[in-house]
Amino acid sequence: MDEKKGKGVSRRDFLKRVGAGSVGAAVISKGLLDAPGADAYPTEAVQPAKGRSIVSLKVNGKAYRVEVQHRQTLAEVLRDEIGLTGTRIGCDRGECGACTVIIDGRNMYSCSQLAVWMNGKEILTVEGLAKGDKLDPIQQAFIDHDGPQCGFCTSGQIMSGKALLMRNPSPTEAQARRALSGNLCRCGNYNREVEAVLAAAKAR
Amino acid sequence: MAQKEFSVVGKATPRIDGFERVTGKAEYTGDVQLPGMLYARVLRSPHPHAKILSIDTSKAEKLPGVKSIVHSFNTNVQWASGGLTQKRMIFNNPVRYVGDAVAAVAATDRYIAEDALELIEVKYEKLPYVLDAAEALKPDAPKIYPKGNLSVGDGRVTAPIREQWGDLEKGFKEADKVFEDTYISKHVNNAQMERRVSVAKWDGAKLTVFASTQGISNARGDIAKALDLPLSRVRVVCKYMGAGFGNKNQAQDYDMMTAVLAKAAGQPVKLEFTREDDFIGMHGRWASEQRYKVGVKKDGTITAVELNAITNMGAYRKQSGDLTGCDFYNIPNYKKVVSPTHTNTVVAANYRAPAYPQSVYGFASMLDQIAFDLGINPYDMFLKNRARLAKGKNQFSSNAIEACIVEGAKKIGWQEKWHPAGASKGPKLHGIGMALGGYPFRLGLGAATIRLLPDATAHVIVGVVDIGTGAKSTMAIIAAEALGIPLDQIQLASGDTDVTPYSIGESSSRTTSFTGTAVIAAAEDVRKQIFQVAAPELEAKPEELDLKNGIVFLKSDPGQKMPLAKAIRKVESEIIGRATTNPTWPEGIDGKAFAAHFCEVEVDRFTGQVRLTRYVAAHDCGTIINRLTATSQVKGGVVQGIGMAFTEELLIDRPTATPINPNYRDAKVPTHLEAPEIEVIFVDSHDPYGPFGGKCVGEPPITPSVGTIANAIFNATGKRFKELPITPDKILRAIQV
Repeated sequence: MDEKKGKGVSRRDFLKRVGAGSVGAAVISKGLLDAPGADAYPTEAVQPAKGRSIVSLKVNGKAYRVEVQHRQTLAEVLRDEIGLTGTRIGCDRGECGACTVIIDGRNMYSCSQLAVWMNGKEILTVEGLAKGDKLDPIQQAFIDHDGPQCGFCTSGQIMSGKALLMRNPSPTEAQARRALSGNLCRCGNYNREVEAVLAAAKAR
Repeated sequence: MAQKEFSVVGKATPRIDGFERVTGKAEYTGDVQLPGMLYARVLRSPHPHAKILSIDTSKAEKLPGVKSIVHSFNTNVQWASGGLTQKRMIFNNPVRYVGDAVAAVAATDRYIAEDALELIEVKYEKLPYVLDAAEALKPDAPKIYPKGNLSVGDGRVTAPIREQWGDLEKGFKEADKVFEDTYISKHVNNAQMERRVSVAKWDGAKLTVFASTQGISNARGDIAKALDLPLSRVRVVCKYMGAGFGNKNQAQDYDMMTAVLAKAAGQPVKLEFTREDDFIGMHGRWASEQRYKVGVKKDGTITAVELNAITNMGAYRKQSGDLTGCDFYNIPNYKKVVSPTHTNTVVAANYRAPAYPQSVYGFASMLDQIAFDLGINPYDMFLKNRARLAKGKNQFSSNAIEACIVEGAKKIGWQEKWHPAGASKGPKLHGIGMALGGYPFRLGLGAATIRLLPDATAHVIVGVVDIGTGAKSTMAIIAAEALGIPLDQIQLASGDTDVTPYSIGESSSRTTSFTGTAVIAAAEDVRKQIFQVAAPELEAKPEELDLKNGIVFLKSDPGQKMPLAKAIRKVESEIIGRATTNPTWPEGIDGKAFAAHFCEVEVDRFTGQVRLTRYVAAHDCGTIINRLTATSQVKGGVVQGIGMAFTEELLIDRPTATPINPNYRDAKVPTHLEAPEIEVIFVDSHDPYGPFGGKCVGEPPITPSVGTIANAIFNATGKRFKELPITPDKILRAIQV
């Protein structure tokens, strides 16, 4: 079971996700976290069921506390519990990279990270890139250079490209290709995705 | 026919739904969440051929959270598009391959559903099985169907597939030389990124299925038929689709399973395949054994071709199993006999240009070898024998195959770079190769509705699903061009059978032609109505008016003009235009898109590794509607061919008949590192029957790719590889001998 440290809320304050009642999964918003009286974490009410823990994590700058099953992956929790479905699951076995997110600055497969490992982590997903309607340069470059065909791998390609540009603002083509090589695209749009990353580097 | 000036068509236009695709906002079927929704998983047969004696679900039912379980003893639902030659159910008994669906469970979460699968007890009586297609055709082979393993089934289609023209015997008599050889291709999976998923909910007697389908109208028809529902009581929705390349046409078994599970549970259900399910539970490209006999004159001119082939369709036959790689050549005398055959293996059916790349590989290798044996430059061989007639007699509606060959060869520098096969020396062997390809350009049924609103913006309503080709953008571009309004004034509604009109579905490269033609007709309907309303405003007759870029003007005096919104200001509601079009070919005319591909390789003599150093793809697709997405289509098709040429093959463990590489890593699909820069040429072409002169783009690019690569490897090594995939171990063995 997880250590209950820091901020907490009583179980009734959990904002239950639609339809998740029978599963017992729950998510709270930043607003609820900051609500008065939310600091104390009553011991009995919050004891998660067997095989579950409560995890505190930051996603796209927002703090979340989520009750998760120990066997749930980060990808599932992002999609099913937090509602950020932009992170796609292509293989669910660490091969395709569609679920790539940036965890503490590194691009990683979220299907291969258990949600219970995410305590205290800062996660950036494709939904966190744009500032309002203003797209991140890499997103604009993916539109201009036709990065998505079916689009299912696109979030992952973008997040790997973003992680590259965060550590190397002016990559060579070979570096870009290498950085994206963990992201499969069965539409075979590899030329376009590399083009887009290089264009985004120039646009900064 | 001269090409007219277009305002939107032919430019490089970013996708109209690009924003949704790059922000994660695009809603794919797996993203659909409904209140009270359950999750489902499928139990699959561990045996290649077995009678199911009993299924005991009592333990699984007791697992808390399990809501419904369906299987062949409690569910009698046919999967109409799952069997072309046999009545195939969503759960079959006997099961006929390792992976055949046995049962499905819906539970409150996906882990409970998976746990429940392990609690289902199935008693099987094992039956004899056969894995090889050639073995399966022998008289003493285990019979998968009562009539045997040649796929005649219940006789709805014939097998073998036969095609013939000219006089074969005469053709071989005219030949100076006759060549015979056999080429083998393997089963490869479509491996689209989006795993198959379906969400079903019932509202009383109405069923809604959020499907991941390439064709909502056909999916609706299949589901309605399977569940005996009126068409109007089945709604199929697919807003964004993570590709399929032919394995998500129509409705598939999981769509029906989901509906039945939801009905039994009284709750909505989401059924997701695992990646392994996806590799074995649906289908890949049919493997083939192609025996050619080719007669040629001394100068390389083909006089006759005979093809005898076996295609391995696996346990069920969903589609043709044909081989059509000879389509791109001028063959005066031709005979083809292809035997689609059943084995107790994963099903084979449509994958991007289903009958082409494996077949082009075989025949282009044949011609390349004949050129070598006759001492002819392959360029001259392909140019000389390029297609001039369809099926030995019909004219093509347009044919720029010669331009593809000439321009592609020029771009890659064929004449400077080509050398006789095996002449390259050193640790890295240089090779250059080419092949011809393409795909039928078809005409057929399309429908579209356009609603022009008083502010001069329009809803274009079409039944298409954009599987990644850019079809939504293509339809919007065609509408903007045909209406005469800017592209950004078009909103596209698609992918919902309750709202959108019929569409053939995004398969067989038909959307631009079928639905695009209807969009143009619907736009003409709207324009007629606009000119009626606008005529008094401009004090002119309706037939004197024109509309371009959102401005209505007098044809005879373009200075006399008015913005569209002003011209239709008396319209209070909207102007609705609609069309259903169904053009057919005139007698003696056929359509085809053509391509010639060229590549250079570098073969490492010591490791057998091949590096593609250059790739040029020249295409005749008619008028290009959107240069940006069309170019992407070509690049992607080539990359899929690279996987098929070098690495991909479904491997089956013979003692257990079990697929051993049903996942991305072991199937070895190409990554960023295997994809060279692919240079794309669209030759000048305009087809009088296509929308704005366009033919098709989606399927042609994969067709010549495998043969092109194989021929380049021959040119580098002097060794002919007659079995796919061409892996380093095969190369090393050949060049070290």
